[in-house]
Amino acid sequence: MKSLIAGMLIALFGAASAPAATAAEGVLRWAADAEGGAPYVFRDPRNPSRMVGFEVDLMEEVAHRLGLKAEFVQNQWDSLIPGLQRGDYDVAVNGIEITEDRKREVLFSDPYFVTYEQITVRKENQDLQSLEDAKGRIAGTLKYSLAERILKAQGGIEVRGYDSQTTIYEDLSNGRLDFVLLDHPIAVYYGNPDPRLKSVGRPVGDMTYGIAVPLSNAALQQKINQALSSMKSEGKLREIYDRWGIWNSRMAEAFQDYSPSKKATELNEYLAAMGRTQTWRQQAAQYWSYVPLLARGAVTTLQLSAVGMILAVALGLLLALVRLYVGGVPGFFAMVYTEAIRGTPLLIQLFFIFYGLPNIGIKLSPFVAAVIGLGMNYGAYEAEVYRAGFLSVPRSQMDAALSLGMNRWQALCHVILPQATRVALPPMTNDFISLLKDSSLVSVITMVELTKVYGQLASTYYDYLGIGILTAAMYFVIGLPFVRLSRALEKKFTKGRPHI
Amino acid sequence: MFIRVEGLHKNFGDIPILRGVDLSVRKGDAVFIIGRSGCGKSTLLRCLNGLESFELGKIHVGNVDVQMSGGQPLSERQIRGLRNQFGMVFQSFNLFPHLNVLENVIKAPMVVKGLSRADAEAIAVPLLEKVGLKSQLFKYPSQISGGQQQRAAIARALAMNPKVMLYDEPTSALDPFLVDEVFQVMRQLADEGMTQIVVTHEHRFAREAADQVIFMEDGLVVEAGPAEQIFHSPKDDRTRVFLRKYA
Ligand SMILES: Nc1ncnc2c1ncn2[C@@H]1O[C@H](COP(=O)(O)OP(=O)(O)OP(=O)(O)O)[C@@H](O)[C@H]1O
Ligand SMILES: [Mg+2]
Repeated sequence: MKSLIAGMLIALFGAASAPAATAAEGVLRWAADAEGGAPYVFRDPRNPSRMVGFEVDLMEEVAHRLGLKAEFVQNQWDSLIPGLQRGDYDVAVNGIEITEDRKREVLFSDPYFVTYEQITVRKENQDLQSLEDAKGRIAGTLKYSLAERILKAQGGIEVRGYDSQTTIYEDLSNGRLDFVLLDHPIAVYYGNPDPRLKSVGRPVGDMTYGIAVPLSNAALQQKINQALSSMKSEGKLREIYDRWGIWNSRMAEAFQDYSPSKKATELNEYLAAMGRTQTWRQQAAQYWSYVPLLARGAVTTLQLSAVGMILAVALGLLLALVRLYVGGVPGFFAMVYTEAIRGTPLLIQLFFIFYGLPNIGIKLSPFVAAVIGLGMNYGAYEAEVYRAGFLSVPRSQMDAALSLGMNRWQALCHVILPQATRVALPPMTNDFISLLKDSSLVSVITMVELTKVYGQLASTYYDYLGIGILTAAMYFVIGLPFVRLSRALEKKFTKGRPHI
Repeated sequence: MFIRVEGLHKNFGDIPILRGVDLSVRKGDAVFIIGRSGCGKSTLLRCLNGLESFELGKIHVGNVDVQMSGGQPLSERQIRGLRNQFGMVFQSFNLFPHLNVLENVIKAPMVVKGLSRADAEAIAVPLLEKVGLKSQLFKYPSQISGGQQQRAAIARALAMNPKVMLYDEPTSALDPFLVDEVFQVMRQLADEGMTQIVVTHEHRFAREAADQVIFMEDGLVVEAGPAEQIFHSPKDDRTRVFLRKYA
């Protein structure tokens, strides 16, 4: 999937030394990204506060066999392996293909699932049965995926890369694409349910999923392999894949088990839940049921943003004061800091703080890392806002304050700062609102905030529009009190300003 | 003499601005400094109250002595000593725009002397009454006239209980019909025995109110004496030329 970005970031920051294993005794902490959607790990459409998926069932069973309790940890898919190396959880399991590159970063269990890429077309278009037939056609798939690499290697096919699987099949259905090439389980859950679409042709390529374990924990790798092997011989794995409707020809070969599949109960329940036609009342109730989940994300977003902004303003003020009133070498460093931070992306800074710093022994909790990342980044912007504010106060104000017997510090606090703040306040409010939205980037460091909850819900229900509007409203509502507060402050600070 | 300045030298970079200024002021006198633009009048006032450091010379005021012999800038202690003696009024008032008139006056007593708000107001309100602003306590600087602003600035300086008031062209930024209300306040302070040093181009007022007039040129005091003498029978040719041109 998004292995390219992950690979790049890992190359940038190197592998973190893995610290001692489990935090809590008796628990197997396993990580996945619930935004990836069905049937891997996703929010249960019947009860969105619950996580379900074939990997959930798999890990419950593995943990059970190790005498542990499975505990799910959310992390962005790109960050699953860095987080594992950092020691935030014991294993990562989310359709992670076993590749040579990744084997240098982590240990893999024996494969728990093998699958392939599936061609899906519109029903009237079944002359397209293989990639050889596809010259000059338009294909859709996920960005940075194996399928994308296969399509490009084939040549002569126009490849369109998408971020989410639901829109790919929609675009196929409405004719924007000629065919889709995607992982077989995804085709089963997102392509086949559409009555206008059909999966055709032979399997393309090979994919083997393994459970990723830190390099330092060969013992855990071994225990997991034993568990998988007994689950295989007792038919437990087959049972899980049957229930989820994703048993396939490659699995049959791998397990030497050609018996017919049992009923795909989970798949059917999922399709029933998704296909239910709803009255507008039911629809409204459905949306209402998302609100508590979104609200929990919103609280996290709000906490992050508020603490981050306080840090940013304090840091910005300090930087501006150092540049304007201290100067010299400290002033130079303040300038370099400002320019360096403003000139680099927040995402990389967050990644560096969370996954890079453990290399030199600094391991921060996700919340602290997020707040520091946001605070340090926005601090650079607030420094410029405050500097402009200070420069807007005439020098004669300082003269007047000094001539009254104030020292420079008193003059700054009581005379200059209030006047600078009134200039700085409107751009600061702007920055806060944009920080509120930028805070969604912290989902790369295992934080589940508003945008992440949105992504998970939307990929479960294929409902990017409705849930999107709900989420946007949520952002608006949590931003509102701050806009008000800033208006009130501005009014307080603008007293006595001539009306222009 | 309450104030004695001897051999005051001040450079900005390599350029000498004050080149050995001498002057003396008796307690309770009103001293007016006149001279061409750029001759160093403002710089002299700013040296007196420690807003500018100087290279060479001596300032004696009340019980404070500051002597400089080149090199290092004024120490914190020297600055503090000078500031406590002087209150200063600026050409462009320099009121704090984010504070109302009353707050402008009580700010420094509260911050510098640590007075409570009530104690500071007990000082400020009578002062504002004296300068005729009793009814404007809660107006902001932008809401009152220039004359009123300058009177508020005088009250603000007085609230720190200075021994000497310095005025740097206190009426130059005012409409002509507002000039007198400010001079009125200064006259009243003179009557109460306040020592005042006034830089001004308003020779009419200097002539009528000055105990001593000082004429400066090129960073030097050319001539000092009673108003009568300077304006009617100046000894120095340079004074004569200046007065013929500007009086
Ligand atoms: N901060 C400064 N840096 C460099 N030069 C300065 C500075 N302040 C004043 N000067 C120069 O010093 C000289 C004297 O300035 P000063 O302000 O004392 O004159 P002034 O007699 O008050 O004139 P005016 O009547 O125009 O107010 C001028 O030539 C001015 O350009
Ligand atoms: Mg001047």
